[in-house]
Amino acid sequence: MVFLFIALPLVVAGILPLVGKISKKVLPDLLVNSVFVILLALVFFEGRGLVAQDAAIKQLFWFGEPLNIRLMLDGFSLFMLFAVSLVGFAISLFSIDYMDHYGSKANFYALFLVMIAGMNGLLLVTDLFQIYIFLEVAAVASYALVAFGLGQDELEASFKYLMLSAVASAFLLAGIVIIFGVTGGLDFETVSQGLRALDARYLVGLCAAFFILGFGLKAALVPFHAWLPDAHPSAPAPISAALSGLLIKVSGVYALTRVFLNVFGLTPALSTVLMYLGVISMVVAALLALGQTDIKRMLAYSSISQVGYIVLGIGLGTPLGILGGLFHLFNHALAKSLLFLNSGSIQMSTGTRNLDEMGGLGKRMPVTAGTTLIGSLAIAGVPPLNGFWSKLIIIVALVQAKQWAFALIAVLVSVLTLWYYLVIQRKAFFGQLNERWSAVREAPFWMTVSTVLLALLCIATGIFFAGTVNSWIRPAADALVKGVQTTLGSLGF
Amino acid sequence: MIVEIALLCGLVLFSVAAIIFRDLLKAAICLAVASLLLGIIFFRMKAPYIGAFEISVVAGLITVLFITTIALTKTGGDVRESKAASWIFPLVFVVFLVLDFFVMRGLIGKIPALEATPEQGTFGEVLWKIRTFDLVGQIGVIFAGVLAVLALFRKRDKDE
Amino acid sequence: MTGPMLLLPIFLPVAIALIAILIPSRVRYVREGISVLGSVVLLYFGYAFFTIKDLTWKVSWLGNGMDFDLRLYHFSAFILLGLAGFLFLITLYSTVKMKNVPRVREYYAYVFLTAAFANGATLSNNFVPLIFFWEGLLLTLYGLITIGGKDSNRTAVKSFILGGFCDFSMILGVAILWKITGTLTLSEISVKPEGLAAVSFILMVIGAIGKAGAMPFHTWIPDAAIDAPVSVMAFIPAALEKLLGIYFLARITLDFFQLEKNSTLAIVLMTIGAATIVLAVFMALIQKDFKRLLSYHAVSQVGYMILGIGTAVPIGIAGGIFHMINHAMYKCGLFLSSGSVEHRCGTTELKKLGGMRQEMPLTAFGFAVCALAISGVWPLNGFVSKEMVFHGAVETGYIVFAIAAWVGAILTFASFLKAGHSVFLGPRSQDVPAVKESESPVLIPILTLAGLCILFGVYNKLPLKGFIEPILEGHVEAGEHLDFSSHALALFNPIALISVGCLVIALLLHLYGWRKAGQKAYLASEPVHKFPVIKQIYDLAERRIFDIYEQGVRFLKWLSGVLFKLIDRPIDAVYEKGVTAVGRAFTGLLQAAHTGHYANYLAWSIGGLLAVAGIISLLLR
Repeated sequence: MVFLFIALPLVVAGILPLVGKISKKVLPDLLVNSVFVILLALVFFEGRGLVAQDAAIKQLFWFGEPLNIRLMLDGFSLFMLFAVSLVGFAISLFSIDYMDHYGSKANFYALFLVMIAGMNGLLLVTDLFQIYIFLEVAAVASYALVAFGLGQDELEASFKYLMLSAVASAFLLAGIVIIFGVTGGLDFETVSQGLRALDARYLVGLCAAFFILGFGLKAALVPFHAWLPDAHPSAPAPISAALSGLLIKVSGVYALTRVFLNVFGLTPALSTVLMYLGVISMVVAALLALGQTDIKRMLAYSSISQVGYIVLGIGLGTPLGILGGLFHLFNHALAKSLLFLNSGSIQMSTGTRNLDEMGGLGKRMPVTAGTTLIGSLAIAGVPPLNGFWSKLIIIVALVQAKQWAFALIAVLVSVLTLWYYLVIQRKAFFGQLNERWSAVREAPFWMTVSTVLLALLCIATGIFFAGTVNSWIRPAADALVKGVQTTLGSLGF
Repeated sequence: MIVEIALLCGLVLFSVAAIIFRDLLKAAICLAVASLLLGIIFFRMKAPYIGAFEISVVAGLITVLFITTIALTKTGGDVRESKAASWIFPLVFVVFLVLDFFVMRGLIGKIPALEATPEQGTFGEVLWKIRTFDLVGQIGVIFAGVLAVLALFRKRDKDE
Repeated sequence: MTGPMLLLPIFLPVAIALIAILIPSRVRYVREGISVLGSVVLLYFGYAFFTIKDLTWKVSWLGNGMDFDLRLYHFSAFILLGLAGFLFLITLYSTVKMKNVPRVREYYAYVFLTAAFANGATLSNNFVPLIFFWEGLLLTLYGLITIGGKDSNRTAVKSFILGGFCDFSMILGVAILWKITGTLTLSEISVKPEGLAAVSFILMVIGAIGKAGAMPFHTWIPDAAIDAPVSVMAFIPAALEKLLGIYFLARITLDFFQLEKNSTLAIVLMTIGAATIVLAVFMALIQKDFKRLLSYHAVSQVGYMILGIGTAVPIGIAGGIFHMINHAMYKCGLFLSSGSVEHRCGTTELKKLGGMRQEMPLTAFGFAVCALAISGVWPLNGFVSKEMVFHGAVETGYIVFAIAAWVGAILTFASFLKAGHSVFLGPRSQDVPAVKESESPVLIPILTLAGLCILFGVYNKLPLKGFIEPILEGHVEAGEHLDFSSHALALFNPIALISVGCLVIALLLHLYGWRKAGQKAYLASEPVHKFPVIKQIYDLAERRIFDIYEQGVRFLKWLSGVLFKLIDRPIDAVYEKGVTAVGRAFTGLLQAAHTGHYANYLAWSIGGLLAVAGIISLLLR
């Protein structure tokens, strides 16, 4: 049943172009949304049971014959699958109305599902080469999705994204090849044991650097971030939401965490490098976001900054730090998707993304304004919304680990974050209504349903955060902490 | 051993030439030669499948595609580039080679040699029996590629 | 009364807020009725809790010592009662004053949410819920200021950023304290402020005095006085934030840390207090707008409270806390009376007003009582608490702080003489048409507060014995019996005589300025304003040179610009000229596509790789 996470989106993606010939809109809408409902149901009814039984690795059978497909489902993957299915569902709801004017909706959905299949696959794999393959599945789909609008900007951004991603993939592959060469295996277990038996720390360090470039580029950490502010704003809004909310986290943060915490072992050297990368991303991207006038660009920079928080928490490596990082990952996925979707609503209603041209839209688009406010405050870390708790946990973890300077920077950056989100609020929604927008109307039904759903989730996760943490995030963090403890210590570096 | 080193040097030289040449046709041919040399290296290292793929697909098919495309496109206005382009790349490349030499010299003794095992079974068997899961991923990549072509080369429907 | 009853002061206001926002704006009377009724119920429970004084309720919440822990004891019960009282008066006042405001539903919702958060913060016995409620106040304040209209957004953002800064420093302080003590329960913490604990102390004090509005975190208050509705000013900066900020400051200095008399930290605290008194009152003196003038006094008076608590002498602490409740009463009354004038005359500019005593006698009376109270005129409540602070300051031996407090007293009285003279006395102004006295819901709160000022002044034993003494129990050292009468809070002792002298100086100063300005009362402060050196400082202050928020904004803009010019542009230049050329060689085949900046990005990534690899190998060494 776990294989359905990959197979179902792939199969539906395969038949969607054919369905598109019969029914241009209604059937594809129905099909895609039901896929996400099924995925969510799978997470709740199948996945949680499996994780509770501690059945980490599943062997697949085909008519009683063992197939050589093994899937790993532990607390961490299940948590990520949950986030992907949940946010994916909101995005597919939003697309019902939003993607109408782009044309060839069935193809769009098919690409989107392939991307989801790639991410789900990445979350379930058991060896390094499979990480690479599923990374490419999601990435190839995302290149096409970024360019889906077919305008000059979209194509250019997609091309840049493609070229930089190719560099990342090349280095990843080089790293995987070296690891294969020295350990003779690709399986996480084999590699982890092989590395422990080996005394080649500089070589492993070099591979680690390659992986940091590869996954860091996918996660858009600062020296590797440059593609993101072009690619994310250019994509159609639901795809911006999927890229910022999910893809950079799955193919960047998840893969990075899985490889470094469960395979390599988080050594002090790696931990230091990751934390510095996180902090640099946080600060630089936050300052850059402050200077933007394009709402989607600002959100894109903000994504980089928030990924910095996540990597900082995970890179710290203490149980509380990992917990905080993962919780922030979840919260950011919810809130940032919400914000990108809302930016799509604004763009659809007014035709502009320039903050200076907006003003007073709150009166014409109350739902969008309200949900944007909630999303902004959630990311900025204002209680009682979810982002506050995750940032608090990260900062507390830093203080516990005696990383005073990082804790201080984290606090200051959260003030900066609040600031540029207030700039969005002020320029877009508050103040005098710009004459140009006096005829603007609220977004269509399904778009508002989707954003309200996400906003309510932000609030609910904030208020009942103890429940969320205990049922989803703690098992994930435990799985990682266990990995750190078993791989760390015996390794040479 | 000497043959391998010669082949490697040739590979690097032709790759660099492919980048430096202004003329697209020359660059494409250099790329083809580099791929051919790479294919020979694969053969000599007892990896016949990948060698065959490299020579047929990269050196053959892709070069044909390149040359056809170049033949079809008109020669437009020559884009002027700063003169720096002609010397900065070789400079950086030399710096890279020097760094590479030192890094590799530092590492070379420390990499444990993997015992040379002959390829297990045929190519098909390896793909089907041992790397089954990769196939799923590859199906995904192909899907994504096909769908991407469908999506990006679509005609804008007039009514939408 | 059982433990869960403690949830009532938190959830009842939330419920009322929800009702207020759900009722359509046309059904005015229902909303107002429910609001006033709800605040009466809260006031009753405030009184009921005050008579019990000892109640706790606790559920585990997040684990790791983060519990939802509420504790009622004499101090929090006292603050709770005060909050409920002000909520009632403000709600009553708002029924008339806020009648025609556009976003009236939100207004009521925010006011009651503010009350809920404030009650929660007061009752919390664990830092996590405390911070939760404390931060919530920021949000409602932001919302309340934006109701003011046109330019209020700027001020709201300003208050939010300043408040956010103070709150974050408090959170940091709490985190350090947690690290030191290992507990988050307020009642279990008691450490000496040394080493790291001193840092935590400073950070938490910033949080507390930032909430109370002391310098240099005050700068949003004068702006808000112009932009925000006057009832918001009377409720939040004048009453509620003083109660909460000083409550927390007192908790910090009395409970969490054992502040010792004349220790470095105590002197720091006293210096902040004295500086706040003097600097803010100087600014207040020259204001030409009634509300703005009041708002600077709201800052200045915090100085007395901080000074009193900073003395760490029983009489001083008691004076500081007593001044807190007194100040909340008379400053609320003053803002409300300025609102009453605005309500009828449509302006609060001193220049346009004059001679209103005949048409608005009750407002004038309320103003006069509150103004005399804030100036410290015998026998009103301000006199008593200020005397106690003076005694405390003198007792520490640092006379300079007492002198600063006296200077503050002179200028306070002078500026209120100016304000009262301009608005209510003098010839009837021609700029304002004939007006009537305000309606009773506006007058009742003003007169109630004026009455309380008189009551607390004349029968000062009542609040001192009933409210203040229990708070200090256990903090007065053995043998040093706290006896208010021993300090002879009567008119005849040297300190009181100096205070009276100050008042006389202030009167002379005012009369001199009034004559000099051709009998125009609103110009009476000009001799001080025009005094050499002081004038230059005033000019700088008017240009917001001393406003840390404006300077911070300027600095960040500058930093952003410098980063852009010094780092971004040169890097771009290097890449455009150098690396781009390499990049073009690499991607020569793809020239048709615009790849100019791609090389830029690629270079970053490769540079990042080299840096990461280098650092890793360095760390491995």
